[in-house]
Order: sequence, then C-alpha cells, then structure tokens
Amino acid sequence: MLHELLSYLRDRARTIGSLVREFYIAPHRGVVARAKRDEDDLFMLLIFSEMMGVPNPASYYTLELQPVLYDRFHEWHTRMGMEKSPLDGFRCC
Amino acid sequence: MTDSAAADAGLTLGGQRILFVGGKGGVGKTTTAGALALRLADRGDRCLLVSTDPAHSLGDLFDRHVGDSELQLAPNLWGLEIDPEAQVERHLDTVKATMRDLVKPDLYPEIERQMSLTRLSPGAVEAAMLERMAELMSEGPERYDRVIFDTAPTGHTLRLLSLPEIMAAWTDGLLRHRDRSDSWNRVLKKIGPRPGVGDDISYIEPPTEPEDERSTKIRQVLLERRRKFYQARRVLLEKGTSAFILVLIPEKLPILESRKAVDALNEFEVPILGLVINRVLPSEPLGAFLEQRREQEAEYLAQIERLFPRLHRLQVPLLPRDVEGFESLRTIGEFLLPDG
Repeated sequence: MLHELLSYLRDRARTIGSLVREFYIAPHRGVVARAKRDEDDLFMLLIFSEMMGVPNPASYYTLELQPVLYDRFHEWHTRMGMEKSPLDGFRCC
Repeated sequence: MTDSAAADAGLTLGGQRILFVGGKGGVGKTTTAGALALRLADRGDRCLLVSTDPAHSLGDLFDRHVGDSELQLAPNLWGLEIDPEAQVERHLDTVKATMRDLVKPDLYPEIERQMSLTRLSPGAVEAAMLERMAELMSEGPERYDRVIFDTAPTGHTLRLLSLPEIMAAWTDGLLRHRDRSDSWNRVLKKIGPRPGVGDDISYIEPPTEPEDERSTKIRQVLLERRRKFYQARRVLLEKGTSAFILVLIPEKLPILESRKAVDALNEFEVPILGLVINRVLPSEPLGAFLEQRREQEAEYLAQIERLFPRLHRLQVPLLPRDVEGFESLRTIGEFLLPDG
C-alpha cells in the first residue's frame, strides 16, 4: 500500500516536473529553431544567389555545395515568399 | 652604366622550386620564361614550364603543339599550357558525380542546365585557372626540381595572387555561418523534443537527410576548399620556395606597369627575384637614328634604376633576329644565368 502510494507520488512529481520544464522551455525552443532556420536560409541564399540572378564571383566554388542542399531548395523558396521556383525551367515543383 | 655592374651579373637563383615570370604583354615573358627553363634544364634541373596566359604562345616558342598535359620539350624540360575551360569541365564533372549520390534522379536534367550556366559565369575560368595553378604549385615540386610559370599580363596575375586570400576569407565566412547554425542545433538538442511531438527540427527540415549528416558534408566541402586556398597562399608567400621575376622593356608604359606590379607584389609580400630589362640596344655603334633612340633608352634605364633601387636588375640585349628555337633561347639563357 505504502509502496503503491510512493510510486504514484513519484509519477506525479515527474509529470509536474516535466510540465514545469516545458513551461519555461517551450518559448525558447521556437526561438532557437527559428534562429537556426534563419541562419540556414541565409546560407542557402549565399550558395544559390547566382541562380537568382545575383552575380556571384565564387559560383565556381558554391556549385560544389549545391548538391548537398538541393533537397531543401523547394521548401526554402516557398518560405522565401516565392510560390514557384524562381528559376526559369527549374521544375522543382 | 658601369655603376650598375650588378645589373649584368645575372639572376641570383637560390633553391626556389616555383618561379613566376610576369610583366606587361609583349615584353618577352614567354621568351624569358622559356630561356630560363631551358637554361636550368641544361644545367640538370628537371623543369616544368607552365603557360597560364589565355593566349598561349609556349607552343609557338618551341615550334610544336603543347596542350593541357605535360609534354617533354627537351632533356629535363617539360611544357604545359593550362586550359582553364577544360578545368571547368573537370570541376563540373566532379560536382555532377556528387549530385548523382545526393539528388533525386528526376532533378538531374534541371540541375545540369544550371551547371552549364556556371560554365559561362565570369569568375569560373579565373577560378579554374587558380585551382590548376594551385595544384601544380603543390604537386609540381614532387615531380620536378623547378616549376616555372609563364604568367598572363600583370594585372591578371596580381588578381590571381590575391584570389587565395579573398577566397579563404570567403570560405571562412561560410564556415562561420555553419558554426552558428550548428550551435543553434546543439541548443535545440539540449532542449529536447516537445513532449509527444518529436524533434522540433523535423517540421522545419524535411527529413530526407539527417541534419547532422548534411552539416558534416557542407563542412567537409568547405574545409577541403579552404585547405587548397591556404596551401596555394603558403607556397606563394614562403620565402625560398617561390619567387617572382618581372620582365620589362625600357619604355614608358612597361616601366609604369612594372612599378604597379612591384607595389602589389610587395603588398602581398611575394618575394621578387629581380627585374629583367629586355631588348636593351647593344653597345656597338648603331648609326644616327638608333643612337637617338639609345639616348632616350638611357633616360628610361636611369628611371628604372631610380624607381627600383633595391631590386636586382638584369639587362638582356636586343638580338639581331627573333628569339625562336633552342639556339637563340640558350643565348638569352646565358644572359639570365651566366656561367660561374
């Protein structure tokens, strides 16, 4: 009986603890995730700038990074407010 | 001219493995580079002579076709004309191979179209040239005693010399962005997933490839690129490893351009071995007309001495006929590196 009560209290405490933790942490999770996403979006822009018509003297080198990032391209250009791929003939969507 | 006795003493060449011969167009860079390489080869150094001028003339000098692969021209002497377009193609092929590992096949044609645009972009040829030069600078000394670059006209070469520094800064910048992204990622991991929802990242990033793996790949590509830039820079700036030889003729514009070149080389701290003053009128009597030219030449020679007091200066006389073929190249070579 006492054993069951202890176990019950421990479970409650754990739940409350995680709720409290979530209460404090939840707002930050969004902020951090967004900060990371902004950083990655900027990186995408640096690598794909030439495709958008911005001359890039380093295009010879950015090219070798593009294959790693192609699978994020669609999601990136839609988030950047361009519903269709901004590239003529680039049918990513 | 007696006070410039040092000017006749030839170049004092040490153990430099990499030599650049540069100067304004038409002053005799290719001839000087060719003569120097042949002279060193005759003395027993295995030499690779590399032309980086988009308008190659190495083949014309040795009267045979020289291409983008090393070709033996004489005992101990090999020649090579860099073809930047071929280098761009090789680069694109490498990227295509990476792409096939990482991208869905239905995107291939679109991406290859994008790549063909890069082939035409203004910086690509220059970047390819730099990449090939950097390769030869780091690998050449494994196979040759000396690698001698016959460079394009000065402005282009100086730009090429400054590129490694600019590009290293560029890769550093990109790596900093990656650092920030990665540190946010670490914070996210520490925070952990929202209870019952899974990793918060998962609805921000499509789950096609784990974010860590992508980040590692980006970092690898950038670090490898930076390694190449830094290597080229180190070889360029290392005293005793590389040196620059400037060629000019005693005329106004080449002198002015040489001055800019010397300033820029000093700024980048590239060691200058000396100044080759080409096509100086020979000392024998030349008749009234050419004596007049000689007077003007004397003014220019004095100006060169005034402008470059600390540089080793070496005069090569104008020859009665064009420099072409081994015999006349050897004549020039003896002026550049006299016996003894």
